[in-house]
Amino acid sequence: MKNPHMTMSRSLCAVSAVMLALFVATAPVFSQPPFSATYDSSRQVKLQGPVTRIDWVNPHAFIFIDVRDATGTVTNWAVEVGNPLELERDGWKRSAIKIGDVAAVEGVPAREKRQAFAKSVTVGGKRLFAPPARRATVARQPTPKWPDGQVRLGPPPGKRGYWGPANAKGLVESTAANVPMTDDGLLINLSDADKVAPFKPWARALYELRQRNLLKGDPLSRCIPPGGPRQFLVPNGFQFVEQRDLGRILVLLGGGDRNWRIIFTDGRAQTPPAELVPTYYGSSVGKWQGETLVVDSVGYNEKFWLTNGGLPHTEALHLTERFSRPDLNTLKYEVTVDDPQTYTRPWTGGWTSQWVPDQDVQEYFCEENAESTFIR
Amino acid sequence: MLGLAQEGHPLTGTWTGDWGPSATQRNHVTIVMSWDGSNVTGTINPGPDSVPIASVFVDVTNWTVRIEADAKDGHISAEGRLEDIASPHRKLAGSWRQGNAKGDFRITRD
Repeated sequence: MKNPHMTMSRSLCAVSAVMLALFVATAPVFSQPPFSATYDSSRQVKLQGPVTRIDWVNPHAFIFIDVRDATGTVTNWAVEVGNPLELERDGWKRSAIKIGDVAAVEGVPAREKRQAFAKSVTVGGKRLFAPPARRATVARQPTPKWPDGQVRLGPPPGKRGYWGPANAKGLVESTAANVPMTDDGLLINLSDADKVAPFKPWARALYELRQRNLLKGDPLSRCIPPGGPRQFLVPNGFQFVEQRDLGRILVLLGGGDRNWRIIFTDGRAQTPPAELVPTYYGSSVGKWQGETLVVDSVGYNEKFWLTNGGLPHTEALHLTERFSRPDLNTLKYEVTVDDPQTYTRPWTGGWTSQWVPDQDVQEYFCEENAESTFIR
Repeated sequence: MLGLAQEGHPLTGTWTGDWGPSATQRNHVTIVMSWDGSNVTGTINPGPDSVPIASVFVDVTNWTVRIEADAKDGHISAEGRLEDIASPHRKLAGSWRQGNAKGDFRITRD
């Protein structure tokens, strides 16, 4: 059973199918609201006109252009050109384009608004915002450690850096075979839903409903915090601040309006869930087992999706997260989801994140992109 | 869409609305439901005149719901379909029987 989104694209011409395949492969790590809900990747649009505004905001940079149609009517289009952090990493600055420049855009139109996701932007014959042909690879370096030999989750002494987004598109049970999905967690084949997690029937039905609705209603699109594992899936990255003298680790999140979370490592016992006020990030206590930080969390509310793609949960959710850093540049994340009200048994999935050296998590407020895109 | 959704089991929460035999004869109704992992449990009109829900059946293939309860003035059987499940203020509407009375009902999750 194909996802209706994908089925629709299959009925189009071969060129569109190829473009779709290319596009899915290069779509942003996460869009807000979900990419599939916003854009119709079965269609293409060509736009040309002068730039009237530039919103160089994290995580989605937009240019706005006035487009004149055959009747002379001018309409203003919002064109998403990519994540500014990635664009700047690739050498592109806000100054690459100026208000008044006449831009030619080829891209994918939004489903409901005068908005497009750019596959190419050309000004004066020069293509802008394209990634370099080949990105530099980072040499493997040893895991940074504290003087007592414990793994550091943050930067080496005297250095800066943070963790970039995950290499996964959503959380999938680790025993499952490959489950193809778009970057915002939309399954290519809906029949793969049973491979994602051991759902109870209501949870399976709700997950499928969200998938069929192309992830419309995603709480993150309303600027609700990305609780649970999803906090590490957002494109803005995250940072650990290890306050060893205080017996805690702060997790500073680049997404979710720069939320933060505390993992207590002072040896305290976990608070019984019944005594907790349910929250987005829960109550977390952690301890080191060798070179792995094991974090036990309970006390979650039901106001967020567990991951991209719409995995549900209840207040009975209990997460066991395992963080390890086999080298400077790699963070392995593994999480066991135990929610007997939603899943038939505990299950485990995970991913890795890459170190972003010499940079800090950049400012991001969800409402800023809301202004660019939602209110149009 | 404003409001904080409850993204867990779609029936969990407090629902308010009314039921009645006609558009002009309506009775306020509040239903509180929660999912315990095996069953949906709850109460109709919590307070001095509350009616404990005897059973809730949910067909997740089409999101139809049947609520059974025994009130002082007769057995309650409400059958409806969940609408707009993604909304924080999703709705449940359908037919309502209470004793010998018949009508329709429409409740919205607060």
